[in-house]
Amino acid sequence: MNATPGHAPVKSIIPKWVRNPQEFVGGIALMAIAVFALWASSDLQGMRGFSFGAGTAPRMFGFLLLGLGALITVVGVVTEGPHLAKYHWRGPFFVTVAILTFAFTIRPMGMIFAAMAAFLIAACGSPETRWTETLIVAVCLTAFCALLFPYALGLPLQLLPTFMIR
Amino acid sequence: MGDVFSNLGLGFGVVFQFVQWTPAFLGGASIPIPVNILLCLIGALVGTLVGVLPGIGTIATVAMLLPITFGLPPVGALIMLAGIYYGAQYGGSTTSILVNIPGEAGSVVTALDGFQMAKKGRAGPALAIAAIGSFFAGCVATVLIALLGAPLTKIALAFGPAEYFSLMVLGLIFAVVLAKGSVLKAIAMIVMGLLLSMVGSDIETGASRMAFNIPELADGLGFATLAMGLFGFAEIIRNLDAGGETDRKLVQEKVSGLMPTRQDLKETAPAILRGTGLGSILGILPGGGAVIASFAAYTLEKKVAKDPSKFGHGEIRGVAAPESANNAAAQTSFIPLLTLGIPPNAVMALMVGAMTIHGIVPGPQVMQKQPELVWGMIASMWVGNLMLLIINLPLVGIWVRLLRVPYRLMFPSIVVFCCIGIYSVNNAPTDVMIAGAFGLVGYWLIKHDFEPAPLLLGMVLGPLMEENLRRALLISRGDWSVFLTRPLSAVLMAIAAALLILAVLPSLRKKRDEVFVESEN
Amino acid sequence: MNWYGRSLASAGLAALAGLGFLSAQAQAQAYPTRSITMIVPFAAGGPTDVIARIVTGHMAQTLGQSIIIENVVGAGGTTATTRASKAANDGYTLITGHMGTHAASVPLYPKLAYHPEKDFEPVGLLAGTPILILARKDFPPKDLKEFITYVKANESKVNAAHAGVGSVSNVSCELLNSILGVKPIGVPFNGTGPAMNALVGGQVDYMCDQIVNAVPQINGGTIKAYAVATAERNPSLPNVPTTAEAGLPAFQAQAWNAIFAPKGTPADVVAKLNAAIVKALDDENVRKRLLELGSVIPAAADRTPAALGTLVKNEIAKWTPVLKAVN
Repeated sequence: MNATPGHAPVKSIIPKWVRNPQEFVGGIALMAIAVFALWASSDLQGMRGFSFGAGTAPRMFGFLLLGLGALITVVGVVTEGPHLAKYHWRGPFFVTVAILTFAFTIRPMGMIFAAMAAFLIAACGSPETRWTETLIVAVCLTAFCALLFPYALGLPLQLLPTFMIR
Repeated sequence: MGDVFSNLGLGFGVVFQFVQWTPAFLGGASIPIPVNILLCLIGALVGTLVGVLPGIGTIATVAMLLPITFGLPPVGALIMLAGIYYGAQYGGSTTSILVNIPGEAGSVVTALDGFQMAKKGRAGPALAIAAIGSFFAGCVATVLIALLGAPLTKIALAFGPAEYFSLMVLGLIFAVVLAKGSVLKAIAMIVMGLLLSMVGSDIETGASRMAFNIPELADGLGFATLAMGLFGFAEIIRNLDAGGETDRKLVQEKVSGLMPTRQDLKETAPAILRGTGLGSILGILPGGGAVIASFAAYTLEKKVAKDPSKFGHGEIRGVAAPESANNAAAQTSFIPLLTLGIPPNAVMALMVGAMTIHGIVPGPQVMQKQPELVWGMIASMWVGNLMLLIINLPLVGIWVRLLRVPYRLMFPSIVVFCCIGIYSVNNAPTDVMIAGAFGLVGYWLIKHDFEPAPLLLGMVLGPLMEENLRRALLISRGDWSVFLTRPLSAVLMAIAAALLILAVLPSLRKKRDEVFVESEN
Repeated sequence: MNWYGRSLASAGLAALAGLGFLSAQAQAQAYPTRSITMIVPFAAGGPTDVIARIVTGHMAQTLGQSIIIENVVGAGGTTATTRASKAANDGYTLITGHMGTHAASVPLYPKLAYHPEKDFEPVGLLAGTPILILARKDFPPKDLKEFITYVKANESKVNAAHAGVGSVSNVSCELLNSILGVKPIGVPFNGTGPAMNALVGGQVDYMCDQIVNAVPQINGGTIKAYAVATAERNPSLPNVPTTAEAGLPAFQAQAWNAIFAPKGTPADVVAKLNAAIVKALDDENVRKRLLELGSVIPAAADRTPAALGTLVKNEIAKWTPVLKAVN
């Protein structure tokens, strides 16, 4: 998005004749998704007489996406455009780990543990995190959530680990 | 006309009912308490809270609070539940504007320009105009329900599967117009959304489609799950990229003015009017009308505007119109329930549940048999909208101050709130993981300049479109001409075709211009 | 426990968890010592949910602990039922199942991850909801006899609406069609509300549905009812004949709702829960509310866990041939 359309020589696996790598790769990825969807819906029934089968619509849109992906790829070859944007690993990695930790611990460990863990792990995703302040906020936020969701909103959330309740 | 006034009089009488409260400690003295007004206030407050929290759905909250209403008189219970409903509709826009997390389909559109306004330091005016637009729309829609509720029901009944399919096609065209970048990429995103919406069980045969035997996928991907992933998590991940922090600091320093300027109000007044009109009409249609109200309004504004290129970059009309439409539709969607007793969406189905628990079974006769209930509710809608305005305008300052919280503390908090929110929808940890995965997908989409909004809209409209297409073809025994021979459907198709041409033409012209500029270089 | 076993994180916590099990011994006599989770496999506000809320509201008073309702929707209720079948069998996780989840699901879903008889302990029947044969108000036949001849004569022209594959309206309509020996076009809708809307709007011809949803529409004259598929007329619709009276005695169907516990739940816990259900069903207020819904409250003999077990067995036997023939 923010990358400037430039002609600077950047080391890349994308061949030179691709003038708009962002679109080119995007188009190819869409085609891959389309092929995957077509494969995933290949076991579904097609048209049954005049009525649609379970697989009719997914196949229709699968082929449509395949075509659109191809078109975008072609656009990527013939038009000038930005280079691939740079990816960073730190943010995505820690945020994803935080989310997974929450998902795996919410049932066995309860909300207090899951929320606290997710907060602290996510905080690792930014180099600017200051730990004392983060810890204080994590405790306050968890306490706030523990009061808000089960009590104020009456959601059926388990607060404590399962082994402490049994 | 006289009838309407006497009915509204009855309604306001119910809303402003006072109950004498005689506590023992006052020694016999009694205090009059406006019970229904208080219930309306509590409902609007809880609704706003629920709407602001990402993910926590209106349905879940109404369901949780259902038992509390057991002890209340039926009118009071319904007034409170209705308050939660439109409070949440309104509250959702706050999160969309402040942190780019739409809680439901209607707010996706609000996020487009609302969040851009917030980035430019104009979160205050965005929130305020949303509140003002919603209030105006709510007032108009309430009057509309009172005046024309019964005749408007006929429109709802005239809409068969063929008409709904055509409406959904029109909706998809709106989604194309909504995109700010390449039309081709927007269409690709819609189709991807349509494909994602096919995951789950087939409506006609029950066959499992692309669900890979994962039980949580058996009923398809949830809207909230996808929206949190593509908007919420993806936005966070992107902000954590190097340079994000400085970007954020700039935002915090720029915050200027909490209220819209006179110029803003002048610009948005016609947008609010148009949004209210569109929303009021679309809201009446059960099963999908209300969903497309907000982006129909946005599309209209973009087409009417002299300079459509401003849309998507913080245009205040892009917030005012969809918010008004959204709220108007939320109100008029009560019409089928009040006149026919048929719930048009899941929240209304819950309200029916609440009524049955109280021994009122809503049906076509509910207006004659329970006038105080129906008119009390209609009157309470107006009161509720007023309360929302009173609650929310002062809150604008607090919300804007929240943006000053350093991002290093803000983003882990958003992660936690989103996780709890998604989990609470179905109590399913798998949903949280799916949202995480879509966060990464959303990050990739941003990097390749694909817009997530058309994808989400495709996802919302997909099932409605496919189901109604198949229903229409089943009923017509495979005759595709029904979409053109049924007059209402034909009109919708014609509008869709005209809009598509309008949407594609300028982009073709632009392509030519680009080629021209290119060759000059 | 299986559910928790699946998550990776809990593996490392097994040692810690051991501490908690020390108290498990003393638990049976004192049951319940904490709140009970009741899984309802359908959306809040629907017929099953409303019945579950009315009865558990009273049960909670008897048991002295709150009962938290957890609505888990999906796949005709089988997602929730699968989860319940794998929950701890300590009596703290229960499910309100119905005709669909604990009978019709067996032939409908060949890959069902549970079996209603093998994976559950029957606890007690709550209430039954009679099923009606309904049609749009301008549908030519005037009574059930005419309806039968009309549908047979116009088999290729009529449309039958239903609320989605596996829903009560779908399953019971298949039973009706198989008795009549017809295969009309079935038009699927997403839930009872949209299906009823289409029937009121005259987009479809007929459907079968639970009495709760239909009574106000029938009284309002927006649709008509041919018969109620139970042995006796329903007090909320005294003018609608039974299927036996109207000439189709073979069509008998009732959507029943009942509480189940995961297999292996101690017998004394089941007995305690059953006693609480029976007490609730005898309560004046609970009865009044259930009757307002058009529900049929089970007779004393049908309220035992054993009677529910037999019902499940019979219902599976009843629906299997009908639904196998359709798919």
